[in-house]
Amino acid sequence: MRNNKENVNDYPKFAVVGHPNKGKSSIVSSLALDDSVQIGDTPGTTQIKRGFPLKVDGKIIYELFDTPGFQRARRVLAWLNEQDAVSADKRSDVVREFVATHRHDDKFRDEIELLEPILDGAGIIYVVDASKPYGPEYEVEMEILRWCGQPSMAILNLIGDEDYRDQWKSALGHYFRMVRTFNPIEATFRDHMDLLESMAQLKEEWTKEIKVAITILDELHQQKVEQTIDAIVDNMIKTLSLVYKQEIKGEKATSKEEEDAKQGYRQQIMEYEKAQEKAIEFIWNHRSIEKIENVLVLDEVGLFSKESASIFGLSQNELILTGASAGAITGAGVDLMLAGHTLFIASLVGGVVGGVGAMFGFNNLYSLEILGQNLGKRELSIGPMKNLNFPYILLGRALYHASVIAKRSHALRESIKLEDEEFYTEQIINTEMRKKLEKVHIQLRKGEGPSNELLDEYKKVISRSFLGLLRE
Amino acid sequence: MHTTIKKVTIKSYLDFAQLIKEYQGSHEENRVFALKHKGALENPSKLVMLWTKTNLFRLRETADSENFLHHFSSVSNLIGFLFLLMGFFAGIGLLSYSGHAPVNIIYYLLFAMMIPLLSMLITIFSMISGGEVSNFFNLFFSLHWVEKFVNLFAFNSKIKTLNSSFPQTLKKWIFIHRLQLFSLLFSVGLLLSLLVMVVSKDIAFSWSTTLNVTPMAFHELLSWVAKPWEFLVPSAIPSVELVEMSQYFRLGETLNKEMVQNADKLGAWWQFLAMVTLIYAIFLRAILWLVSRYAYQKQLEKDFLEIEGMEMLIREFQTPYVSTEAPKVEQHLDIVEETDAQVKQNRRRAFNNIVGWNFSADEIALVNDSKEIKGVHIDIVGGSHTFSKDQEIARQISRTVLLYVKSWEPPTMDFVDFLELLIESKKVDEIHVYPLGTVGRYYASDAKEVAVWKRKIQGLKSKKVWVIDA
Ligand SMILES: Nc1nc2c(ncn2[C@@H]2O[C@H](COP(=O)(O)OP(=O)(O)OP(=O)(O)O)[C@@H](O)[C@H]2O)c(=O)[nH]1
Ligand SMILES: [Mg+2]
Repeated sequence: MRNNKENVNDYPKFAVVGHPNKGKSSIVSSLALDDSVQIGDTPGTTQIKRGFPLKVDGKIIYELFDTPGFQRARRVLAWLNEQDAVSADKRSDVVREFVATHRHDDKFRDEIELLEPILDGAGIIYVVDASKPYGPEYEVEMEILRWCGQPSMAILNLIGDEDYRDQWKSALGHYFRMVRTFNPIEATFRDHMDLLESMAQLKEEWTKEIKVAITILDELHQQKVEQTIDAIVDNMIKTLSLVYKQEIKGEKATSKEEEDAKQGYRQQIMEYEKAQEKAIEFIWNHRSIEKIENVLVLDEVGLFSKESASIFGLSQNELILTGASAGAITGAGVDLMLAGHTLFIASLVGGVVGGVGAMFGFNNLYSLEILGQNLGKRELSIGPMKNLNFPYILLGRALYHASVIAKRSHALRESIKLEDEEFYTEQIINTEMRKKLEKVHIQLRKGEGPSNELLDEYKKVISRSFLGLLRE
Repeated sequence: MHTTIKKVTIKSYLDFAQLIKEYQGSHEENRVFALKHKGALENPSKLVMLWTKTNLFRLRETADSENFLHHFSSVSNLIGFLFLLMGFFAGIGLLSYSGHAPVNIIYYLLFAMMIPLLSMLITIFSMISGGEVSNFFNLFFSLHWVEKFVNLFAFNSKIKTLNSSFPQTLKKWIFIHRLQLFSLLFSVGLLLSLLVMVVSKDIAFSWSTTLNVTPMAFHELLSWVAKPWEFLVPSAIPSVELVEMSQYFRLGETLNKEMVQNADKLGAWWQFLAMVTLIYAIFLRAILWLVSRYAYQKQLEKDFLEIEGMEMLIREFQTPYVSTEAPKVEQHLDIVEETDAQVKQNRRRAFNNIVGWNFSADEIALVNDSKEIKGVHIDIVGGSHTFSKDQEIARQISRTVLLYVKSWEPPTMDFVDFLELLIESKKVDEIHVYPLGTVGRYYASDAKEVAVWKRKIQGLKSKKVWVIDA
């Protein structure tokens, strides 16, 4: 029974320790893909240790611990040195004794919190900020860690813009077998995996499990990519085929009713976009993002604005190249009528607009119909969207948002400004890809559901461009 | 785990479709559910049905399936009964022997064989064709119109929408499947009426046609019809004599005398007619009914898996749930914003003591030079010194103290302990904490970093300590 329990508990553990405010929580947050971790420029942000297990169906593969920083390292070391000298293999017992003796001493609360997981068998990940010069005061901390006798490595984090890594490396080299640079804010998925590879080297017995973890995380990443593509494609179809209906009073719609309906139509599309963004943020574990104001300044650049069209849309040349030339609008209009809308009573309002209108204008680019419903109810119906550029604007925004979210470190607590990123839909979706997309767009514009083969093709194109963005 | 769920039914279809709109469960919950029912894991439909059953209590309203199936089964019962009655009365009508004219078996054959065969043929067309074409074939069936009519009485609009929410092909199979059943009932009614009539009356059968058919040819034809039971029930094949005897015009000449005499002989027809009904109207129909039931079930299973939300749920069942986050929520630390209290914008040039926290003597000298600050006593504290050594130094410090600190190294409790020694010391009047930036930046420190020091020192609430922010 006891044996059993030990086995269950026998997974690799890592305690991320160090001086206060050096990015311990940031590193844990980014490795654990958990954006709920408290990170702040006030030292002592983390007050108690917290475990971040990687669990697969409830089974723990490894566990990371975030800990408070050292507060009274000198006094701990003094206590350890005061004890009777013991051989190196017994030193961890002395540390254990320290913890036992001072368990109720508030003075050493932080030290006890950080030492406990190590005494419980966790490997040590010592974090320093290598953008600041090295100082001998760190040796006290490293000395204490050495007393614990656990496998250990050091991580150089670069919080500021100076670089003292060489200094640090030569100092840390005396205490740690492995020294790695890892920037929790900028780390990519690959950096993350590389760090895990290093952690796998800490102890022979752990290597296998950490390799398993790497595979799992790789698959998880893959799944997230697929779910993201699905969310984007679903929203594209839902939005582009949206037909918005609104009741009207008289025979004909008043201009106010028409305006209201257009407003409602746009509102609906914007809500769809918001929901898609939420879904994608959820997929990538950015749960608390909504607490940060204006995470993406996409909000400021409205979906139906000129800016959005010029940033995310295609240029007119590209539109023509894609076959979505201005003339095609007329074609779509005719098709629409021939498609056999049985309830079709009134003629299309607006409709044929070419030139710049196709680029920026939205006002007259959805078909507007009045449907004489049974029981004498009349409805104004708007959609599907006929603006040729709109699908690309929508897709561009979605891909941009998704790629920012997918790459966003969980240690970030700030918003991202749109101008920080260079993004052009044209650059990530070439003409040939666009032709494939356009096939689906044409059908949606006609109010038809695209076939499965076309949709598969569509997904592939979007997936390709998304993966391209992730690699950047 | 033992479960009684086996096949996908209309109920499971409707229940799932309704439930998944209101409740999807998290990946974690769904995966846990799947792992709990490991036995069902390789059969997604079964797992989904179990899941539906388990979670059905979450529905805010009564299950659609309840209303629908109630309506559906009462309508089915009604129509089924109607068809049985129709079959029975059609039979009675056909077999009514008024005493003036004998019963023409050709009419009976029309209902018991020709029309069923034709309708089966159309059914088969409808089965193998899809979409609009099969809809067209269905227009030929009275059931189509009966259902339309009955649906008019389905005032419950919800049932109407449910009805139309089934995918097109599934609707077709539901229709065809029911059609077979009702037709079967019709034929059973027909057979029943035949038996009832035979038992209760003497029926004189005859045959007549305007076409020029000899009794021999007619007999030939009937032998073909009777081929299926040639060996099984040879008595149910009319003999040549019987065929000759019962030709209508012959009977007509001697109706009164011979008819009465031959009534029981002519009655031998009934076995043939019963077999025709049994084989052509009932047996073949039963086969078609089984086929349609099978196809309907297959279609239902296929469409079940295509309900919106199904793919996602199954994916969640099958994908291991990976979590990386901390299970516990962290207590949030309240940050008190810094103020201007105990902050000095300008610094003095001379101090009684200058102390460097974690600085070397050389470094202190360098700072003093660069900042043009003079001190009478210069000491180093912190770093690799022991705390008792620092205590000793603290005892010697008096009057004004300048305490250099590295602005980027946040104030630890170790530092605060030392600072408190100074604060408590009666000899010390003023302590100026000076956060310095790195040499590389000519000691200029970040406002953010200095703010951390301010907050820490303001928190000590001592009027003796100041932070220099110059
Ligand atoms: N620019 C930048 N800032 C970082 C980086 N890592 C950490 N920071 C910042 O440094 C500060 C401290 O980060 P934390 O992760 O809270 O540090 P900690 O070591 O957990 O601190 P305590 O819990 O207080 O001991 C925060 O303001 C972070 O945003 C980095 O790689 N780049
Ligand atoms: Mg922390």
